[in-house]
Amino acid sequence: MPDQLLQQIADGLLIGLMYSLVAIGLTLIWGVMNIVNFAHGDFLMLGMFTSFWLFTLYGIDPIFSIPIGFVCMFVMGTLIYRFIVSKVMKGPILAQLVVTFGVSIFISNLAVYFWTPDFRLLPATIIHGTWQIGGIELSVPKVAASIGSVIASVCMIFFLKRTKTGKAILATEMDREAALLMGINTERINSLSFGIGTALVGVAGAFLSTYYYIYPQVGGLFGTIAFCVVALGGFGSIEGAFIAGILVGLAQTLGGFFFDPSYKYAIVYMIYLITIWIRPQGLMGW
Amino acid sequence: MRNFTLRQIIAGFAIVLLLIAFPLVVRQSFHIHVMILVFMFGMLGVAWNIMGGYAGMFSFGQAAFFGIGAYTSSYLSIAHGVNPWIGLVMGGCTAALVASAIGYPCSNLRGHYFAIASIAFAEIVRIVFNNWKMVGAAEGLSLSIQHESFVNFLFNSSKLPYYYIMLAFLLVSLVVSYFVATSKMGYYFRAIKESHKIAESLGVDVVLYRLMAIMISAFLSAMAGTFYAQYILYIDPGSVMLLATSIQIVLIAMLGGAGSIMGPVIGAAILIPASEYTRVALGYKGTGMDMLIYGLLITLISMYYPEGVWKLFAKIGRKLK
Amino acid sequence: MKSKNWIRVVSVALSLLLVLVFFVSAHSQQNVIKIGAVYPLTGNIASTGLDCKRGVDLAVDIINGKYDLDLPLARSEGLPNLGGAKIEIVYADTKGDPKNGMSEAERLITSEKVVAMIGAYQSAVTKTASQMTERLGIPYVCSDSSSPTLTERDFKYFFRVSPHDDIFARDQFQFLKDLEKKTGQTVHNIAVLYENTEFGSNAGKAYKKYAAEFGYKVVADISYTANATDVTSEVGKLIVSKPDVLMHASYITDAILFTKTFKEMGFQPKGIMTMAGYIEPGYLPSVKADGNYIIVRSTFALDLAKNKPLVAKVNDLFRKKYGIDMSENAARSFMAPFVLAEAINRAKSTAPEAIVKALHETDIPGNQTIYPWKGIKFDPQTNQNIYARGTLVQILNQEYVTIWPFDSASKPVVWPFPAWKDR
Repeated sequence: MPDQLLQQIADGLLIGLMYSLVAIGLTLIWGVMNIVNFAHGDFLMLGMFTSFWLFTLYGIDPIFSIPIGFVCMFVMGTLIYRFIVSKVMKGPILAQLVVTFGVSIFISNLAVYFWTPDFRLLPATIIHGTWQIGGIELSVPKVAASIGSVIASVCMIFFLKRTKTGKAILATEMDREAALLMGINTERINSLSFGIGTALVGVAGAFLSTYYYIYPQVGGLFGTIAFCVVALGGFGSIEGAFIAGILVGLAQTLGGFFFDPSYKYAIVYMIYLITIWIRPQGLMGW
Repeated sequence: MRNFTLRQIIAGFAIVLLLIAFPLVVRQSFHIHVMILVFMFGMLGVAWNIMGGYAGMFSFGQAAFFGIGAYTSSYLSIAHGVNPWIGLVMGGCTAALVASAIGYPCSNLRGHYFAIASIAFAEIVRIVFNNWKMVGAAEGLSLSIQHESFVNFLFNSSKLPYYYIMLAFLLVSLVVSYFVATSKMGYYFRAIKESHKIAESLGVDVVLYRLMAIMISAFLSAMAGTFYAQYILYIDPGSVMLLATSIQIVLIAMLGGAGSIMGPVIGAAILIPASEYTRVALGYKGTGMDMLIYGLLITLISMYYPEGVWKLFAKIGRKLK
Repeated sequence: MKSKNWIRVVSVALSLLLVLVFFVSAHSQQNVIKIGAVYPLTGNIASTGLDCKRGVDLAVDIINGKYDLDLPLARSEGLPNLGGAKIEIVYADTKGDPKNGMSEAERLITSEKVVAMIGAYQSAVTKTASQMTERLGIPYVCSDSSSPTLTERDFKYFFRVSPHDDIFARDQFQFLKDLEKKTGQTVHNIAVLYENTEFGSNAGKAYKKYAAEFGYKVVADISYTANATDVTSEVGKLIVSKPDVLMHASYITDAILFTKTFKEMGFQPKGIMTMAGYIEPGYLPSVKADGNYIIVRSTFALDLAKNKPLVAKVNDLFRKKYGIDMSENAARSFMAPFVLAEAINRAKSTAPEAIVKALHETDIPGNQTIYPWKGIKFDPQTNQNIYARGTLVQILNQEYVTIWPFDSASKPVVWPFPAWKDR
């Protein structure tokens, strides 16, 4: 039993770090623009498909296609912001919520149209197999994804705190009006953030594609959990999203193991609600 | 209390008469079914509007109340033989109770935080119902086909009674919405929507009025749920408590015009036929084309009519004067 | 509040409605018999719905054309007793929603004037769709939904051709007893794992019922959400319960996820016996060799062709039309149009009562089907095909091979489940 307990904790960490990776892009967009990007899960799906097609058509292993995916998704995110989202930024919050939802439906069904609803799974890529360490089994693709998550988070934190553009983004997050007064081009910051946020979830998709099945509706559950993770961690906070992701992963796995797996997501949502009641701005939000 | 001009009263009656005449002219039951859905989602949108459009609490979990209403009346009917009309009221009360229980701790949540909390809450309710043996868990509840009558809230031979009942429900919800909007309560709601601090400085008990908004919204949504159960005669968590349904309700209210009384009805009148008819015309090919159109429609409307299509009709109305 | 706007609103809405009424209304043709088919053609389970559609479409091709096959009405074009009338399937997309099942069934009957219904794969949707057909008095022949409750409702118009999950569950236990008799390998502990919607929970119930009946101990009873991001908790619980055999009722997404997780976490029972998801056409291409040695309940397998050349011929036609082999789903949905067409032909009428009467008299011999059944004959009480039964296939070398009943097996079963490490 202690063996299995360690196994569950390890797996909770691994799935949690994947949640973190999915969430950091979302929290950036949310923090900067105050937009709930309902299409986030679908961008994840696109990231997965990008990785899949690059592998299937051109034989590029997901590990190497990450930079390509990053750039593609960044461009796509920027375009979507420029042509669609920016139009509703000045309008009521509700319109902003809904427009990303419309984009979400459109993208997932565009995927159905072009790629059919069938399920696809990548065959063993460079990263595959399981490691046995101390009596527990660790899936190598999941470990790689976790490392990717840590690297991405660290890079983002560094970018936001140490670079000029990054600091401008942080400033816009904290106080939009003040940022404007300071001469920051908030429109450009918005576009950049949306692009980076989308690119990050594209990277998450590339990692996820190495061990999860790929199909047009795959964004649904991951997206909903990502919202909880972001809100739990505090909007706009990369550190918050990182920690919250791990917490959610552990809660889900341990909750499912010790109680009833059918309730495992209910446990996640419950933890979210309780945390929010105690600390409405999330763990690390302001 | 607002006064209506004679013109408005006549126009209102004319529309209601048109709606009453509709199923007598258009006999095909599918179109009547679509209209019933329009009324039902219109009512759900109006219910949402009371807490979302008026009081600023954007709930993405209305399906939970809808489902609680459906389950309460159905369970009482199946297990204890309670008449569905009584079950309707009990469903509303149950939903309102649950709403206040969840609403209270969420009293200081606003905007996105409230939205996500509502999603979390609704999903918890769905998961619980999906595993709760007493109400059939995942298999749901099937209502038996009994003797049809108004008292039994069941009609087998024709859809017309369902049509008129749902229309009546919708009108009731609109009346409630109107009274809320034009009363002091509505004024307090709008203050709360603006800012909690401002409301408090006006002497408004923010917590109390937020709860009232949620409870009224929940009660009306539950009524629609009972109707659904009596209409479809089969409910399960996957059909009455879906996140997708909650989102659809928000879309309808928002695209029609949140904050206006008729807005959600217009939203329902546009979105429901759009999704039903595109599915019929295009869905069977399996290409997803129907949903593509739907998604495009939503995106375009929220980009160009962010306050809701309501404004569009207002513009047309002004131009034609 | 501007009253003129309301008038505009309603008039625009009504005119839109009338336009769409035209768009959607039926156009009738000469000498065509319309049958309605409700399936999830878009949405989460669309790949399965489209798979079922492939089976149905091929069946209609065969009925309407002239083929040298031992299938009812294959050798004639259309229905000979009705002047060669052709079958036309009118599809409707349910999106997997029971509410749509009901409304589409009604629309197909009242607007499109179909004379019978088939579908809907998902038992929850079949439930509401058939409630509607029962209300409107239209025959419904189902060959792809497996919930036992569907034929326990005392419906007059609903018929089921294929086996249901109760039969499948019992089969799996019968296999264990037969295995013991044949090889002396004993099994004591069973773990029951099932997804938590209608299909899974009913299958779970059946598993537990027969475990008790056959004298096995259930050491784990786990229900889970099919659409999960990760199943390590579930597999962890399975591992600590140390079962001899796992019985799993799943859809395809969870089948894929669990298979990968079983391998990852080294879950090593003596046997894994499953339903549904593991025999979906998308499963093996996804998991490839990891699916080997898993046992699945089935009504159809390509290796039946050894004893039944008809199977090979039908599969050839399927391959020609779609480029892939016939899957179990497509095979199940394949039969319903034949049953209906044959009944309508015998009844020489499309009146519902006549069709129902003909269905009660249906007696299609087994060699005119592509299944390992004695035939198709409906129980007068429940309208369930009394000869419907399943077989068990095992995935060997990434192919589905019939391994039970032992006298119709193509190859002997590989038991126990070989260790993951040794592959």
